[in-house]
Amino acid sequence: MKLTEDQVQALRDLGDHVAAIMPHDVIKTELAKQELIVTVQRGSIVKVLTTLRDDVNCKFSQLVELTAVDYPEREQRFDVVYCLLSMKHNQRVRVKLATDEATPVPTVTGVFSTAGWFEREVWDMYGVFFADHPDLRRILTDYGFEGHPLRKDFPLTGYVEMRYDEDQKRIVYEPVKLAQDFRSFDFLSPWEAMTSRWLPGDEKAAQQAEGKK
Amino acid sequence: MGVTSGNPHNPMNLIPPGTDQDLILKGVDETLKEKGFVLSSVDALVNWARTGSLWPMTFGLACCAVEMIHAYMPRYDLDRMGVVPRPSPRQSDVMIVAGTVTNKMAPAVRKVYDQMAEPRWVISMGSCANGGGYYHYSYSVLRGCDRIVPVDVYVPGCPPTAEALVYGIMQLQKKIRRTGTLRR
Amino acid sequence: MSEQQIKNLNINFGPQHPAAHGVLRLVLELDGEIVDRADPHIGLLHRGTEKLIEHKTYMQATPYFDRLDYCSPLNMEHSYVLAVEKLLGIEVPERGKLIRTLFAEIVRIANHLLNVPSYAMDVGAMTPMLWAFEEREIIFEFCEAVCGARMHMNYFRPGGVAQDLPDGLIERMREWAKKFPNYVRDMETMITRNRIFMQRTVGIGVVTPEQALDWAFSGPNLRASGFAWDLRKSQPYDSYEEMDFDVPIGKTGDCYDRYLVRVEEMHQSLRIIHQCLDRLEKVKGPVKTDDRKATPPSRHEMKRSMEALIHHFKLFTEGFHVPAGETYVATEAPKGEFGVYLVSDGTNKPYKCKIRSPGYVHLQAMDMMSKGHMLADIPAIIGSIDVVFGEIDR
Repeated sequence: MKLTEDQVQALRDLGDHVAAIMPHDVIKTELAKQELIVTVQRGSIVKVLTTLRDDVNCKFSQLVELTAVDYPEREQRFDVVYCLLSMKHNQRVRVKLATDEATPVPTVTGVFSTAGWFEREVWDMYGVFFADHPDLRRILTDYGFEGHPLRKDFPLTGYVEMRYDEDQKRIVYEPVKLAQDFRSFDFLSPWEAMTSRWLPGDEKAAQQAEGKK
Repeated sequence: MGVTSGNPHNPMNLIPPGTDQDLILKGVDETLKEKGFVLSSVDALVNWARTGSLWPMTFGLACCAVEMIHAYMPRYDLDRMGVVPRPSPRQSDVMIVAGTVTNKMAPAVRKVYDQMAEPRWVISMGSCANGGGYYHYSYSVLRGCDRIVPVDVYVPGCPPTAEALVYGIMQLQKKIRRTGTLRR
Repeated sequence: MSEQQIKNLNINFGPQHPAAHGVLRLVLELDGEIVDRADPHIGLLHRGTEKLIEHKTYMQATPYFDRLDYCSPLNMEHSYVLAVEKLLGIEVPERGKLIRTLFAEIVRIANHLLNVPSYAMDVGAMTPMLWAFEEREIIFEFCEAVCGARMHMNYFRPGGVAQDLPDGLIERMREWAKKFPNYVRDMETMITRNRIFMQRTVGIGVVTPEQALDWAFSGPNLRASGFAWDLRKSQPYDSYEEMDFDVPIGKTGDCYDRYLVRVEEMHQSLRIIHQCLDRLEKVKGPVKTDDRKATPPSRHEMKRSMEALIHHFKLFTEGFHVPAGETYVATEAPKGEFGVYLVSDGTNKPYKCKIRSPGYVHLQAMDMMSKGHMLADIPAIIGSIDVVFGEIDR
């Protein structure tokens, strides 16, 4: 999986090339862990992906992955991530854009048909709306499910659970009641992060640090 | 009850294999030859018939389904116990819930159960079906299939080996033999 | 004569259907016997794996990957451990890499042994299934010997594999690997030139090369459409670079080609297995990295060294911390490109783990593939694209 120096250089050149041919659409290109990441403007995603697909130096013929990442503390909380694969040049590229709950992202189903279900999944899981998507229904969650489960503020166990009701002779939904809560230990002990936090019981050092400020 | 021979302490009136059993079988054989019929209780006959042809619903939901198929296949060969998978709930006696039951799937599982004819039994196979297991805390998984269908036998494991499922089916047969069909 | 009203018929295929390979619900719009539109409803096995992974440490999350594609559990783990290793920046010793390659191929054969005969069974052949499962049992025995579990092995760990091969396993595997081609030949005599099988698969569900790219096909399905594209060759990981094997490709991209590609892949996997076994006899040494921040110490060491004990305790309570960063790592799973997009924020739990499952994209193309075919071709198409709902619904 390790790339050779030439392949890394080729990726770097590709990044420069992409930034050069679409200067207004590409915000930045970076190379991290031997992977090329291109951050683009939200509105120009269709144009960027079409160019990446058709440009002779790119030829990214497959959209292998489309997903989102949720950073609730950011103003534009979602990163939508497109992973592309070029079988001709044996390269991968990741295209990213930022959005929030309210702003729709242009659909790329016109560029890659496979984006259809990927976008449905992102809508289902994160609530990112894709404008002009031909069939934006929920895909994985239950019929009639509420909320977007992969958002960081959605609880792991959800809000409802179900059981069969003998009297009503049907399956009923009820609020979640757990016999035992999910055990989540905070193992981020202060001992490992002494540079940023104080040891428990060492208030004196804390006061000194305060004083220095 | 009707069956007089056998150990009175054994609630199922079972005679362990051996000379005793051979003697009785031989006796039955001879009576059959002489008179052309044998006497037995309806209970015992019905239970014998039921345990000998437990037809399960092929209802693979997740990983456990693979082990369930392994149990049907030559090495474990459930056929020899009269267990023949049926694709339709109307023909089957036992439903093996093999795998994770999700909230989306639960109504379908219940519907299949409702379509099965009495008498019917349910084997819950694997920790997901038993109580959610590895996915217990998930927002989309039913925490145990006993929330929607009454379960007779729980087979533990993730997934249970094919042997464990065979053992579970044998436990169900034992349970059926113990149940009175007419007296309840 | 008055004009007759003709209406298309909607039928519901599944979720409980013996030919659906799991819990697929397919809403079909039929014009007589011809399929006009196929709308797969998935999510009936959606278990929230990605959400659960965010709440578990890196090591606790590995077994979830076994349970994604339960026909080829180790190949799913492979992508994940490679992704974690990439973020951690650790190297795996050579023996560890070889064992991983060996078992990835063994499990690939197990997967094809499940898929090919059950696909044949969907179109009417019963016997290959009965034979295949005996071979699968033998493979399960190997898995059991190496880690104690038949199916969900959790054998690949970040930094190597859980433990070394037991004594004598290499010889047993070699013996099996010598006999196994006989089984494949037997199966081929039953199916490959079989008239019924060919009538039901040749020319059914044709995927042209352009469509295959557009719908992001990968793995055997892509190769059946004529692309010699295999991640083991083009972007090699672990020991695949040193292995000698061929990539079979199809010509027409129909159901029959997809079957042929899979059968040939079994032979090629066997070649890799032979090479791995040969090299494993020579290459000795550790099977996992000795970086104690990522892999636990041996039992023996733990009883003698305080530091080892502390490492063990920390690893199994807190787990290891992964430096912040993100990566997308893909491997060639039996069903296609299986990718893991892992985002770490520097803590002991993944911030985000997106699983790119090949079945998801292949099933999406169901509508395209089945349009204009007969209803009876649907099981053949489903069988030939090799779907498993554990990975599709996640």
